[in-house]
Amino acid sequence: MELSESVQRGLQLLADPSVVDPSSFQVLLDVSFRGLLASRADPAILDQPELKHIDRIQVKQIHAALATFILEAVKHNADKSTISSCLEELTFSPERLELFFTTHQKHKKEVESLLSSIGRRLPHVHDVSWRLQYQMKNGQLDKINEPFYLISLNTENEGSPEDVNFTCTTEQLQDLVAKLKDAAKSVEKASQM
Amino acid sequence: MEEVDKILIHALRQVGTEVGENIERVGQFTSELIVEAVVRCIRVIDPGPGGVLPTTLPPGMSARFRVGMSLAQACQDIGYKGEIGYQTFLYSNEPEIRSLLMFLVEKLPRESSEASDQPTGKSAVLHRAIATVIKAQLAVSWVPLNCRLPLHGETQSRAASQKFSVHPLSLPYCNEGQKSLKEVKEYKRDILLPATAQSPSQTSMVSSMLEQHMADLSSTQEWDTEWKSQGLLYRLAPQEYRSRKLKRLRNRIKEQLRSVAMQSPESIYSVCRPSSELSDLLRAFRGPAPFDLILTKGTHFTHTQKFTFTEEATAVKSQVHSGRHSEGDTQLHQQEELALLQQQFQQLCSDIDQIAADMRHRSVTSTQVFDELKQRELENAKNQEDMQVKKTTLELLPDADNNLQKLQSQVETGASRVVNLASQWEKHRAPLIEELRRLKQICSSKDLESSTKLSEIKHLHEKICMATEDAKKKEESYKQLVTELESLPRDVSRSAYTQRILEIVGNINKQKEDITKILSDTKELQKEINNLTGKLDRTFAVTDELVFKDAKKDESVRKSYKYLAALQENCNQLIQTIEDTGTILREIRDLEEQVGIS
Repeated sequence: MELSESVQRGLQLLADPSVVDPSSFQVLLDVSFRGLLASRADPAILDQPELKHIDRIQVKQIHAALATFILEAVKHNADKSTISSCLEELTFSPERLELFFTTHQKHKKEVESLLSSIGRRLPHVHDVSWRLQYQMKNGQLDKINEPFYLISLNTENEGSPEDVNFTCTTEQLQDLVAKLKDAAKSVEKASQM
Repeated sequence: MEEVDKILIHALRQVGTEVGENIERVGQFTSELIVEAVVRCIRVIDPGPGGVLPTTLPPGMSARFRVGMSLAQACQDIGYKGEIGYQTFLYSNEPEIRSLLMFLVEKLPRESSEASDQPTGKSAVLHRAIATVIKAQLAVSWVPLNCRLPLHGETQSRAASQKFSVHPLSLPYCNEGQKSLKEVKEYKRDILLPATAQSPSQTSMVSSMLEQHMADLSSTQEWDTEWKSQGLLYRLAPQEYRSRKLKRLRNRIKEQLRSVAMQSPESIYSVCRPSSELSDLLRAFRGPAPFDLILTKGTHFTHTQKFTFTEEATAVKSQVHSGRHSEGDTQLHQQEELALLQQQFQQLCSDIDQIAADMRHRSVTSTQVFDELKQRELENAKNQEDMQVKKTTLELLPDADNNLQKLQSQVETGASRVVNLASQWEKHRAPLIEELRRLKQICSSKDLESSTKLSEIKHLHEKICMATEDAKKKEESYKQLVTELESLPRDVSRSAYTQRILEIVGNINKQKEDITKILSDTKELQKEINNLTGKLDRTFAVTDELVFKDAKKDESVRKSYKYLAALQENCNQLIQTIEDTGTILREIRDLEEQVGIS
C-alpha cells in the first residue's frame, strides 16, 4: 500500500503527540469515519470542542489524510500487519495504532459496502414467471402445433424493478436451462479451488 | 513397533478418540477403545454410513455381536482387504488390530499435506480467498424478495449503485518550499471545507478522494523516474531543474502561439500544414472563432464567409416568407431595409479593407524610407570625417619639413611606447594565461569528478530500487510463510518421529558394524585360504620331488607318481569347479535381486 507524500505528512502530524493529544486523536478518528460514512456531508464536522486547540489548517490536513488512508486501506483489504507496518513507518505509537485498528475494524464493513456501491452492475434476477402457449397455425402454415413459452424475468436494477420478457421454443428453453446449469457448475467449481 | 504405535495413537487422538495417557501400545487397547477408535476413523473417512455407528459398545452380548458385524462390514466397505469380523473387535489380537488401525489412519484425509502442496504465491492466495468467499456465498440459502434481511443484501439484492464520478478536491496541504500567502492561509483556515464535505454526494466524495490520491502518487512517481533518468544529467538542484523546465515550456508555448497568430486565417482552411500538436490545437481552437471575432479582426476571408452565410440565411428567410402573403407589406419593407443596410455594411467593410491595405502599404513604404534615411546619415558622417582629415593635412602643408620632423618624432615616440606597452602586456599576460590554464584544468578535473559522482548516484539509485523491491518481495514471502505456518497443525508427534528416525539411524549404525565384522571375517578366511594353498603347493612340490626320485628305481612308485599327478590335476579341477559354482551362485543372487527391484 503506497501513500502519497501529502497523506504521509498528514498522518505524521496525527502521530505527533505534541500536535494531537490522545483525546483529540480519538475524536479525529471518529470524525473521519463519520465524515466518510455520513450520507450527507456535514461542513461543520471538524467543529468539535476537543479539536479547538489545534491549528485549523492542521486539523483539515489530518482529516483529509486520515480519510484517504482509511479508504486506501479498505480498498486494498489491508490486514492488521500491513496497516501496522504502514503506520509504524509514520511513527505511530503502539497505543494509537491499536486504537486506529479497533476503530477501523468497527467500521470496515460499512466502508466496504460504500466502496462496493460505486460502479455498474447488471440487473439482478430475483424471480421468474412463465406461461405455456400452444401455436396451432399461422398465416403461412396451416398446421404448426408447437408449444412455446412466454417467460418473464423479474429483475431489479439499481433499486428499481424492471421485467425482461421473451418467448422461446422448447429447444431454446432447454438450451437456456443447460447454460444456466453450466454457469452454476462453474461457480461451484470456482469455489472448490 | 513402539514408534508405529505412538504415531497411531497420536492420529487417533487427533480424530477425537479419548486414548488414556498411560496407554502406549496397541496391545493395551480394550475392546471399547478399539471400537471407539475405529468408529471415529470411519466417521472421518466416510461421514455417510459412519454417522450411524455407535461409538460405545452396548452391554448385551448379542448387541455387541451386531455392532462388531456392522463395523466389520463398514471397514470392508472402505476397502480393508485383511481378515475382519466381529471377533476382531470383541476378541482382539494385537497384530490384527494394528494392521486395521494402520489402514484406517492411512485412509484419513490429509488436509495438512494437501494444504502444503498447494501452489504458493500472491495469485494463488487471492484465488483461494475468492474460492472461500464464493463458497460462503453459495452456502447462503435463497430467500424470497420480501423476506430479505440485510444479511442477504450482499449477494441476493444489490443496493443502488452509483457511478464513479469525480470532483476536484481542494486539500489543505501546503508546499513546504514556498511560504504561502497570508490570504491563502486565511482561506485555508476559515473558509475551506473539510475534505469530506466538498463533494455533493457521498460516493462522489469517496471516488474523488481515491482519484486524488492516485493522481498524487502517479505524479510523484513520474517525477521520480524523470529526475532519475534525465534530471540528474543537468546537474542542477531539483527546484532549479523544475523552474528551468517550466521556463522552457512557457517559451515553447509562447512561440507556438505567436507563430499560429501570425498565420493568416486563410491558411487555416486552405492548407493544413504538418505541425506540432499545440498549433493543431490552437487551430482547432480558432476554427469556430471567426464568427465571434468578425469585428475585432476584419479580414477578407472572414467577411466574405460571413456575408455568404448571411445571404444564404436571408435567402432562406425570404423563401419562407414568400409563402406567407398575409403579413407581406411590413416584412417586405423590412427585408428591403435589411438588404439595403447589408449592402451599406458591405460597402463599409470593403472600404475598411481597402483602407487597411493602403495603410499597410504606407507603413511598409515608410519603413523603407526610414531605412534609407539612416543609411544616408551614416554616409554623411563618414564623409565628414574624411573631410576633417583632409582639412588638417591641408593646414600642415605650408611648413612641410618642420612638420614632417615633428611627425616623425611623434611616430617614433609612439612606436617606442607601443613596444613598451607590448612588453608590459607580455608581463601581465603570462601569469594570467598560466592562471587560466590552471583554472581550466581544475574545471575539467571537477567535471570529471562530478560525472563520476553522477554515475555513482545513478548506480546508487538503481541499487536502492532493487533493494526496496527485494525487501518488498521478502516481506511478502515472509507474510505468506507466517500464514502457512499458522495454518499448519501443531504436530505433537514430532518427538515420536524424531525418535523413530534416531532409532533407524542407530539400526543402520549397528548394521554397519555387522558389515565391517563380516568383511574382516571374509578377509581372514581369504588369508587362511591363501595360506593353505601355499602350503598345499609346497607339499605337492616336495612329494613330487621325492616320488620322482623313487620313480626311477621302482615300477610301482612310478605308478604312484602318475596317480599323484592325476590326483593333483583332479583336485585342481575340483577347486576350479567349486569357485565357478560360487561365482555363478553370486550372479544368480544378483540377478534375483535385480528382478526383485524391478
